[in-house]
Amino acid sequence: MEQSIRKQADELYKRGLLVFNQPITKETLKLVTELWQEALKLYRKIGDESKAREIGNSLISLYKKKSIRIERKEEQGSNILTKFVNWNLFFKIGCLGFGGPMAVFSLLENELVQRKKILTDKDFLEGAVLGDILPGPVTMDIVTYTGYKLKKWSGAIRSTLIFILPSFILMIILAMLYDKYKITPKIETIFECLGAAVTGLIVSVGLRLGEKEIKDYRGAGILIWAFISSLIFKFDILTVVGLAGIAGTILYIGPKG
Amino acid sequence: MDILLKLFWVFLKIGTFSFGGGMVIIPLVENEVVMKYGWLTKREFIDAVTLGQITPGPVVISATFIGYKVYGILGAIVSTVSVILPSFVMICLATQAIKKFQENKLLANFFRGARIAVIGMILQAGLSIGKSSLIDFKTIFIAGIALISLLKYKLNPIWILLGAGIVGLVS
Repeated sequence: MEQSIRKQADELYKRGLLVFNQPITKETLKLVTELWQEALKLYRKIGDESKAREIGNSLISLYKKKSIRIERKEEQGSNILTKFVNWNLFFKIGCLGFGGPMAVFSLLENELVQRKKILTDKDFLEGAVLGDILPGPVTMDIVTYTGYKLKKWSGAIRSTLIFILPSFILMIILAMLYDKYKITPKIETIFECLGAAVTGLIVSVGLRLGEKEIKDYRGAGILIWAFISSLIFKFDILTVVGLAGIAGTILYIGPKG
Repeated sequence: MDILLKLFWVFLKIGTFSFGGGMVIIPLVENEVVMKYGWLTKREFIDAVTLGQITPGPVVISATFIGYKVYGILGAIVSTVSVILPSFVMICLATQAIKKFQENKLLANFFRGARIAVIGMILQAGLSIGKSSLIDFKTIFIAGIALISLLKYKLNPIWILLGAGIVGLVS
């Protein structure tokens, strides 16, 4: 009787070990735990404490491994992934982004950083930097960047397409109307008022981000330099951002860097 | 088919060189689309750009219009995809690379400086948009309300844009 139970327990333990040596996933971990727990019970039953303790230790180390894995998963996810992402927000902004690139920029900042908290200030500005350095409109680049951060390539494709779709459809309709009637809508007064609103929007975004990002005289210096060089010298975006990046590389090497 | 390939190639080129986005690329597009291939007349091209500014998306969406004029819906799809494609791929690759070199101090510092420059340019954009659009009491009023309601009351900017658009429509 005892002999057969022992044999059974050994068998269970070995099987557990076999599974344990396979690539670890949620399923295999669960299986190993079950097998070893069963073996532990059987050893206890026949009074083999030393064997039981051995398996108990194995189980503990297994739990540790499991919790590490789960922790790591959560760490990855808690940035962005675990949060429910409502891709419609890109559609919403794609629909409502009237008033030029800076309006869209403000909407994106408001929606992604302040409301949905998908990106941090730093992430958002990083996306903007990439958008400035690489080709393509900055707003669309930020949308692509966000999508990629969320779900790699598939996320990037999704966010970009969803974002561009409203404009695409509207543009086709406008093109059809244009072909037929040769008209373009009158927009001057609307744009005047929109421009005024965008001024308020974009200044508020600038002030909010500036407050968070600028921590010392070096930051303030770069800010003033960027402001002046784009205002007075009319450097293009690439130059301003590139030079500021180089300045940052040199300035922040210092002790606190 | 031949013309679709040409369309694809032209807008792929434009998409690749549209650094800084927006208006910068317009002369480039005009050169290709009006001068070189004669797909659009000059008048039509100007209208395409105007329409591109009306739509909520970026101005590159003018590519959709041009594509449509050249080859209908299919042309619109080809031109839009090809103008987006280069920046799309580059952004994805860059995001991937940044993640890989996260620990690199030099790169981190580069981005720290560059991020601040973006803020500086945001403020500069605010100033220059303001300079051209704050022209009377009404517009100054709108801008003031927008700024206060955003900073102090955290209002969703969509409402501000809608409100300003409506004021513009009725006035």
